[in-house]
Amino acid sequence: MTGQIPERIGARTTLQKLLSRFHFGITLFAVALSGLTILLAGVSALRGYADRNMELAAQLGAYGVEPALVFNDPQAAREGLEPLTRIPGIARLRVLNDRGQPLTQWSSPMADPAPLLTRMFFPRPFAVAIERNGSAIGTIEVWGDSSTLIDYVRIGLLAGLGCLLITALGTIFLARRFEYELVKPLNEIATVAHDVRLHRRFDKRVKPLGIAELDRLGGDINNLLDELQGWQGHMESERAMLAHRASHDTLTAMPNRDAFDEQLAQRIASADARGERFALLFIDADNFKAANDSFGHAAGDAVLVALSACIKDTLRKGDFAARIGGDEFIVIVDPLDAETVPDDLARHIRACVAQPVTLPGGETYQASASVGVAVYPDDGGDATALLTAADAAMYANKLRNRSKA
Amino acid sequence: MLASLFLIGASLTTPQMSVQAASQTIVEDSDDGMTRAVNRMVGGIVSYARWPDGAADSTRVMCVIGTPRLTNRMAPDVPGAGSVLVRRLSVGTVAGRADCDILFLGRMAIADRRQLIAWVRGRPILTITDDDAACIYGAMFCLSNRAANLSFSVNLDAIGRGPLRIDPRVLSIGRSAGGPP
Repeated sequence: MTGQIPERIGARTTLQKLLSRFHFGITLFAVALSGLTILLAGVSALRGYADRNMELAAQLGAYGVEPALVFNDPQAAREGLEPLTRIPGIARLRVLNDRGQPLTQWSSPMADPAPLLTRMFFPRPFAVAIERNGSAIGTIEVWGDSSTLIDYVRIGLLAGLGCLLITALGTIFLARRFEYELVKPLNEIATVAHDVRLHRRFDKRVKPLGIAELDRLGGDINNLLDELQGWQGHMESERAMLAHRASHDTLTAMPNRDAFDEQLAQRIASADARGERFALLFIDADNFKAANDSFGHAAGDAVLVALSACIKDTLRKGDFAARIGGDEFIVIVDPLDAETVPDDLARHIRACVAQPVTLPGGETYQASASVGVAVYPDDGGDATALLTAADAAMYANKLRNRSKA
Repeated sequence: MLASLFLIGASLTTPQMSVQAASQTIVEDSDDGMTRAVNRMVGGIVSYARWPDGAADSTRVMCVIGTPRLTNRMAPDVPGAGSVLVRRLSVGTVAGRADCDILFLGRMAIADRRQLIAWVRGRPILTITDDDAACIYGAMFCLSNRAANLSFSVNLDAIGRGPLRIDPRVLSIGRSAGGPP
């Protein structure tokens, strides 16, 4: 799947390239169309002018050589043609008398620059009959050549090339403009989508866009993100609740045995690292089973809640308390400095617990608790040893309490 | 430079000598070749002349005086419309007649020729001669056969003095061909 993605991107074209190609095609088409039209119009107009030019030349020649034909004088005919030989675009001239015999002829010394063009424009000579007082006395024939047309064709080709260049530049400009107008908003949307997918940044939103369709797309994406953000928040709070539930006791809202084990391991590691000590108070309600049996579970719960309240009351900042069993609680007293005496804390808890508790049934019950203290690393080098030591201390305390009672 | 100075000087000292050298008409190599060439040339000259009174296609009267040197069968061949009627007259009778449009001066006494030229001055009459190769005696057009070719020269002074209008193309043919202008 991941191997396919680069291949697909590589095979695809960008929007800008697509637009550029499209623009180039359209502009080229337009330029070609208009160029062709102008070329055709130009060629037909030019052809008209060339024809007219030849005709005028022939008329001029006819006027000039008329007396020469009357007097049958080839020299005068040559002189009559002289003005025509200076007109560019004439390849050949011939004067025929009334019997069709040539009186004089002239050929341009310059070579035809484009014989193909000449054949296209002047396939046959222009012949004008020469008349004297209404009777034909001869004919003058004029052949054109391409020397005047070649300039037009050259300029036309240059202009075409220039248009092509302008087309290319215009296309680039238009494509740039389109990139700015269209590709940029699309990129904006893509960036937001990418950010959301990759970095889970559900707070990102697409800014308002100038193009209506894209703005609508952006709005839809924003709505989708709103929903996603809602789901995400809901899921996170659900997960936090589940996590809390997994690590906490529901009755006393104190961390449970799992949370305690984790916490203890951390505290040991931290104390080892800093070379400090901390104390563990193991607290167990006395005669809890008996109270539970004689007053009911609700009373037992009330006793546990009261006990937990006393423990929470004793906690300082940094201390940690957990309910690790039915009537067993543990407090991690950390840090354990010179002013803190674990035994004082134990006494404080026991004094607190000794206050009468009002049971749901209306009776009062006086509970008592046994507290054992173990200090890390003095009483145990690891979690199990420390717990065992604290348990033993608690048990010793319980025995002492019973013998007192 | 010197040559042009000389020419200017020459034209100033002899104003009647502004004569144009002739064109060269091809003469066919046959018995009546010269006759046809002369008739064609005279007809051509007539067709390029405009009389103040009439149209191009009207009939003109040509009065032949003296003895033509080039041909005896004078019948000008005018291209297109128009024709020429030929009359032979003597020197003395010309002045009394008013219907001569063209005078063809053949060989004659110099005094007679001078008299006729003087009489023509100011009248709408075209003068052609074949007895004045240099074209210096006052006729408007002078025919001559040089080296088996027929040619004509133009006397611009004579034309300029008369009321006739001659097509400048003909004048230029007369001017441009052959020898010095």
